[in-house]
Amino acid sequence: MSRVDRLRSTLPWSGRRIRFTSAGTLFVVGALAVGFAAINTGNNLLYLLLGGMLGATGVSGWLSERAIRGVEVSRRIPRGIPVGQEAAIRYAVHNARGAAALGLEIREGGLPGVAFVPRVTPGDTVPARSVNTFVRRGVYPLETVTLVTSFPFGFFRRERDLALPGELVIWPRTDRQVAPPRAGAGRRVSQGAAPSRAAGPRGEFKGLRDYRDGDDARDIHWRSSARRTAPVIREYDRDASDTLWICLDLAADPGEVAEEAVEIAAGLAARATASGRRHALVAGDDVIGPAAGRGHLERVLECLARVDFAPGAAAPAPPVAPDACVLVGTRARPGPWADVRLAGRGGA
Amino acid sequence: MNRVALTHRRLAVSMGLSGLVAFAGGAGMEPLSATLAGSALLLALFWHPTPGLSSRLEKLWGPLAVLLVLRALAWVFLLDGDVVMPVVDLLLLLLSAESLRSLDANNDVRIYALSFALLLAATAYRPGLLFALAFVAFVIAASLALPLGLLRRGAARFGAAEPGLDRALLGSSARLATVTLTVAAIVFLAFPRVSRGWSGRGETMATSVAGFADQISLGGHGSRIHSNPEIVLRVEFPDGVPDNLYSLHWRGRSYDRFDGVRWTRSEGVRPSTAPVEWYRERWGGGLLRQRIYGAPLDARVLFAVHPMVGVDADSRIQPMFDNVGDFFYWGRAAPLYTAESIVRPPPPDSLRATRGGYMPDRTRYLQLPRLPDRITELADSLTRDYDNDYDKVVAVERWLRTTFSYTRELPRTAGEASLDHFLFERKAGHCEYFSSAMVVLLRAAGIYARNVNGFLGGRWNDFGRYLAVTQNEAHSWVEVWFPNYGWVTFDPTPGGSIDGTAEAEWLWPGRIFLDGLQHRWSKWVLDYSAADQVGMLDRFGSLFERDEDPAPTPGDPDAALPSGLTLLLLGGATLVALLFVRGLRGGRAAGPEGAAYLRMLAVARRAGVVGDDEITPLHLVERIGSEAPEAGPSAARLVDLYLRARFGRHPLDRDETRELREALARVRRSLG
Repeated sequence: MSRVDRLRSTLPWSGRRIRFTSAGTLFVVGALAVGFAAINTGNNLLYLLLGGMLGATGVSGWLSERAIRGVEVSRRIPRGIPVGQEAAIRYAVHNARGAAALGLEIREGGLPGVAFVPRVTPGDTVPARSVNTFVRRGVYPLETVTLVTSFPFGFFRRERDLALPGELVIWPRTDRQVAPPRAGAGRRVSQGAAPSRAAGPRGEFKGLRDYRDGDDARDIHWRSSARRTAPVIREYDRDASDTLWICLDLAADPGEVAEEAVEIAAGLAARATASGRRHALVAGDDVIGPAAGRGHLERVLECLARVDFAPGAAAPAPPVAPDACVLVGTRARPGPWADVRLAGRGGA
Repeated sequence: MNRVALTHRRLAVSMGLSGLVAFAGGAGMEPLSATLAGSALLLALFWHPTPGLSSRLEKLWGPLAVLLVLRALAWVFLLDGDVVMPVVDLLLLLLSAESLRSLDANNDVRIYALSFALLLAATAYRPGLLFALAFVAFVIAASLALPLGLLRRGAARFGAAEPGLDRALLGSSARLATVTLTVAAIVFLAFPRVSRGWSGRGETMATSVAGFADQISLGGHGSRIHSNPEIVLRVEFPDGVPDNLYSLHWRGRSYDRFDGVRWTRSEGVRPSTAPVEWYRERWGGGLLRQRIYGAPLDARVLFAVHPMVGVDADSRIQPMFDNVGDFFYWGRAAPLYTAESIVRPPPPDSLRATRGGYMPDRTRYLQLPRLPDRITELADSLTRDYDNDYDKVVAVERWLRTTFSYTRELPRTAGEASLDHFLFERKAGHCEYFSSAMVVLLRAAGIYARNVNGFLGGRWNDFGRYLAVTQNEAHSWVEVWFPNYGWVTFDPTPGGSIDGTAEAEWLWPGRIFLDGLQHRWSKWVLDYSAADQVGMLDRFGSLFERDEDPAPTPGDPDAALPSGLTLLLLGGATLVALLFVRGLRGGRAAGPEGAAYLRMLAVARRAGVVGDDEITPLHLVERIGSEAPEAGPSAARLVDLYLRARFGRHPLDRDETRELREALARVRRSLG
């Protein structure tokens, strides 16, 4: 930030704009016409009306400034927003001033959804929500929230930017119909001896770890959780041979076909989750290790939301043999893949 | 039922009612449209049709509007009528239609616009005080209706909860209305008046005043003037109220030709008035200045005390004398002018001594109809003992005043209406009989005389400090020509010409008060001019001068009102400034805690506890504690609350805010 910008940001009107609405433009043109008529005719009552109109215009600008001054906004974003589904961004609007804030719109740059708060009394905090639907997966960086008010007459739109960094992660859709992976995928031939310890229905107990969103509540270790006053999860080392490895090949031009590849990968992960099967994802340098459950699926979807395609990207390098993996991409890669799903060719 | 929607609709309809009242207060209305629109708007306050009924009603408005448009076209193009009234009728129909729609209709902006259009149309006339009330009501209703409408639209658009009317909105609306009205007053007073004055559509309110047409009939005059309290003149006396206030004759028109029944004005009369210098130099006393606010009348006559030797009217009317010295004007505005008249008639001895000199027009002012001989003989018998015209005139005047009685009873038959019957049989009549009789008797005696109409007396309005003259005070008297002195006034009507009924009407104190308000409205709003503006600026400037000029006397209306307006202007400007400053300071201080901290800092600086350098809050507490130990804990508590609220994002609750104020007060007491 340059010195001038720094200085500018300290000014009281920094980050504020005022714009005439069409009603305001009409009203001001009307006031000019009344003023012209007053001067032309010397009709004193027209001067009175002119005064009233100018007063209303001036006070409108003043009150709109008061309406957004001293208002603070915090934002709560859902963990992930699936493509095509309505998602609410929630706000808490706090009025730290001595006067009520009225008629507030809360807008996010680039998003069509708007939250509206009719009033926030002094010292009060009220909730608001805007609803948006996203058509493409990805990460939307959020920088500022814009407070807008047209109070009291709708003649002006007074806007004030509040720096509020954040991001929206839009998950790829998971409802694309995908065929089950070929029988070989994830069914690696056992090498060496059988597992040393007998495993229960949830696999072999591996240890305890902190709870993460999406973990199965049945795995909570209550005694440890009570001791730590934070939820603790039992982790099982399930049969590695049952894990479905999804390898997303990022070597492609960004576009519809590449997005289809992401959706195929997401669909495979969702299918595995639905059947309770462990799965893992390899996408470029990102590797989400094997696990099952809703929490794991969300981690996979978050990773898929963030992947970027590039024509020269390297082939996926899973930490297991390729014959335990399903390759998902836009073109074939050499190797003994257990299964290959190519987008744009009916690969789902 | 949605209460907020209902309140919003009622507020919008109130704006419409205000517009209707403003218009009706100025132009008057056709009774039918006013009644229908008023009823529709009042109905809309209490009743709202269901959506189904509303859509059926809407089918009615279209054909009605078409009918009104056709009527307007016919009115304007076929009958050459004024376009404003049909347009207003159309506005009223649309306003009624919008007001009577279902509450589901999102039509508030249309109601606002139509109401404003009515208000705007009202300014084309000279509306009375009702306009002022309607304007204030309009602003108040709009200050609540528009924000509420905006919030409702926002809530509907973004799916938020419907807003209600609460203290926050009411407070904002009150500020809105106050500032809007204050700015309106300031702009009104301060906006430079550069154009000609405004004539308005005064003719639509013009009053037909008895006795000022081109001819008047002896028997018909009294019937029209009987008990009509409409005010035709309001007269202020800038140099002080004269002693003989109620005997001032407000002269209007003169009539030279009498046919026995009617008085008329002859065409093509040669100049027959006296030069102004005669009056200025040969009459007695000083000048009487009269500031006269006339009602717009059919007859474009300017009334003033005779003889009028100077006039100053603003450019809205063009005053002029005609050949016989009557005072007229061009222009359609309500006349507003300052007349200068000579206070006293010439001394009787001077008039007795006058001989020869210029005589105006023998054929006009000695003209007589065919008269019964007994009238001529009567004239001779009344005047033959005197050797000069003045004594003859006074003798006739005295005889009529003492021998006859005044009555407003009209003669029953045409025969009884004659002058002969009045003089010899009835011996009672109204002023027109007396003045006609005197002119006829004087002319029969060879003395140049004419009949004059105007007003006599009036009612002093102490609230407005002016003399109000109503149609009740219409009067006739006589002017007699004296060479080298001009026309001199004589009044043969016996006292008591202002009868009791008129007096009783005036005694109602509310009327006096209201008329005083109305006069101020006309004077300071409708007729507010560049000259008033300059005068006010002068007075405003003189507030800051310490010169030796005597202060204006408190009783002088001209002195009191502009200074009152100046105070209003100053008060308004201060109010707006305070509201703005409060807003700005609130913004910088970010809440009560910041404001309280800054005030404590200012108190400490004033008390010399700290200098003007920057100081941290904790250091400030330390300094206050060392200077005034009893204030230390309060200062510490205030700063604690301030730091928590400001930097800890812990908004103060009500108790903490009170605690903050109390801490500040204790620090103030200790350091102050």
